[in-house]
Amino acid sequence: MSRLALAVSRGIGRVTESALGPYQTAVIRIGFAATWLLFLLREFPHRQELYGPDGPWGWDLAEQLIGANGAFTALMWSDGQFWFEAVYVLAALSSLLLIVGWRTRTMSVLFMVGVLSLQNRSVFMGDGGDNVLHLMCIYLVFTRCGQVWSLDARRARLARAARARGERVTDRTGPVLWGVLGLALFAVTVVGRLDGDWFVPALLWAVWVAQALWWIVGRLARTAQPRIMLDVIGNILHNGALLVIMTEACLIYATAGWYKIQGSRWQDGTAVYYPLHLDYFSPWPALADLLSASGTLVMLVTYGTVIVQVAFPFTLFHRRVKNVLLAIMITEHAVIAVVLGLPFFSLAMIAADAVFLPTPFLRRLGDGAARARARLFPRAGGTVPAQRDMDDAPEHTGKPEQTHVGFRA
Amino acid sequence: MVSAPQELRTGVAALSLRYRIGVALALAVVAVAVCVHIGMVFLHVAPSNTVTKKHGEAIDEWIYPEFEQNWKLFAPNPLQQNIAVQVRAEIHTAGGEIRTTGWYDLSAQDGRAIDGNLLPSHTQQNELRRAWDFYVSTHDGDNRPSGLRGALSETYLRHIVVLRLDRADAAGPGDVVERVQVCSQTTNVRPPDWSEEQISLKPTYRVLPWWSVPQNEAEGDVR
Repeated sequence: MSRLALAVSRGIGRVTESALGPYQTAVIRIGFAATWLLFLLREFPHRQELYGPDGPWGWDLAEQLIGANGAFTALMWSDGQFWFEAVYVLAALSSLLLIVGWRTRTMSVLFMVGVLSLQNRSVFMGDGGDNVLHLMCIYLVFTRCGQVWSLDARRARLARAARARGERVTDRTGPVLWGVLGLALFAVTVVGRLDGDWFVPALLWAVWVAQALWWIVGRLARTAQPRIMLDVIGNILHNGALLVIMTEACLIYATAGWYKIQGSRWQDGTAVYYPLHLDYFSPWPALADLLSASGTLVMLVTYGTVIVQVAFPFTLFHRRVKNVLLAIMITEHAVIAVVLGLPFFSLAMIAADAVFLPTPFLRRLGDGAARARARLFPRAGGTVPAQRDMDDAPEHTGKPEQTHVGFRA
Repeated sequence: MVSAPQELRTGVAALSLRYRIGVALALAVVAVAVCVHIGMVFLHVAPSNTVTKKHGEAIDEWIYPEFEQNWKLFAPNPLQQNIAVQVRAEIHTAGGEIRTTGWYDLSAQDGRAIDGNLLPSHTQQNELRRAWDFYVSTHDGDNRPSGLRGALSETYLRHIVVLRLDRADAAGPGDVVERVQVCSQTTNVRPPDWSEEQISLKPTYRVLPWWSVPQNEAEGDVR
């Protein structure tokens, strides 16, 4: 019994003292935001047809469906062309800023607003990749995903150095951003545009209030206690969201795998042949024929896919096996991107897989990226956040002192 | 940035009882929310079972609209048929006659756009394909719509085919598309060479009734 109590208290210690997986949450932040940004850029010529007020899924149709299900989308706030273009551009801009980790928490909220606005506007345009992004953009809001590889981390480091020199550091951008967005949120709420489902509006208001609280407590509180409490709560939220993200990825694989087992084509070992020969998923027919020329090979890939998908969640308890399966799955998704013509679905899945990558590997990846950048832009050395923040990262010192990065006005 | 990092070093241990209670409350709320959410998502993606039959409404209440998901990717069986959506139009020409066009195979156009394409667009890969799925899932065998979604899917499909006909210049200058007819052609994927399976490769057709196109829509206004 006392061992159980000890384990529980150690667990509580872990989830309260730091925001776990700083590299993993940073890599999925970059992965999902980059997937969405690339998608928006690729579809830029088709944006009107996909999400515009005069697209085939016209504004009226969307209004009727959303009236029935209450989904959140800023695109229904106006049927004007200008508003549509503005939302599209802002969605792309917030993705870019989330990638570089500028005001990460706020950008993660705007990123969510962008993803939900466009996807919920035209639900019948999406596929599995859109579905992954839809869920993950909500979960990301709860994480401190800018602890490393971000401009926020760089700014925090510079601020620390300045304070160590005895300088006073004041942040003006944060409060301004908070004020402008709060005004917008207030206006939208007052005119009744947030009358659909309550969840997303409540989340928007909650983040806004929390940022104000964080700022006030840091500035006005007489003791450090309230600030520490908020920091700990931030950690708890982050760790909870991280668990949800990991579980979601496992549920995706488990569902995909377990349902396949019931299918006759997955049992007789021919399943992989068929998607390769659907007109909508065969950009390279010759390649598809080559890949499916051998019945034995198709059977091995068919069985292998099911085995990996079903097994993956269970291998999380064994580090090395998990890493092997992870490498296989990332490879398979990279192949699917090209062979089935599903690049953005594959990118989103690879980004989700990345949450399970081991920290040493991610650190090497970050080092490599920083070196590559330094080589490409030798003069820009001062603005390379990756390398330096790596040296600043919690793992190095074993002290999670960067946990305050995300939650601020 | 308003506080020195030294203040943050200590975590829960540095808190007085009052603030520890705050932390404990937050921990409890988050733990419960995480467990409930994971449970709800699990039940949402699981097959119909004792619990989902009993509490289906509560699960849907939690999941919809933002946490809906479907991961039956190519499962239980991958699609083994190519479904081509085709359309023809009845056109009121500038000269005052009524002309019926030949069939336009819109899915074949999509297929050609996807061929050799590293980055297929959702407009080529998903738009028509999913609009047709939407139509089929909201209509019975006699093409009778069910509910709001049935009506929406008809309008949506009509918008798409009118747009595509317009792009194909089906109607000449001064002509007006008055009615459209949609048809689907379903063909089994040829079994692999190394398989001994025998299946019919003869396509089957589902022909929808003619739909009249409202005047403003034929001119490109879908609102």
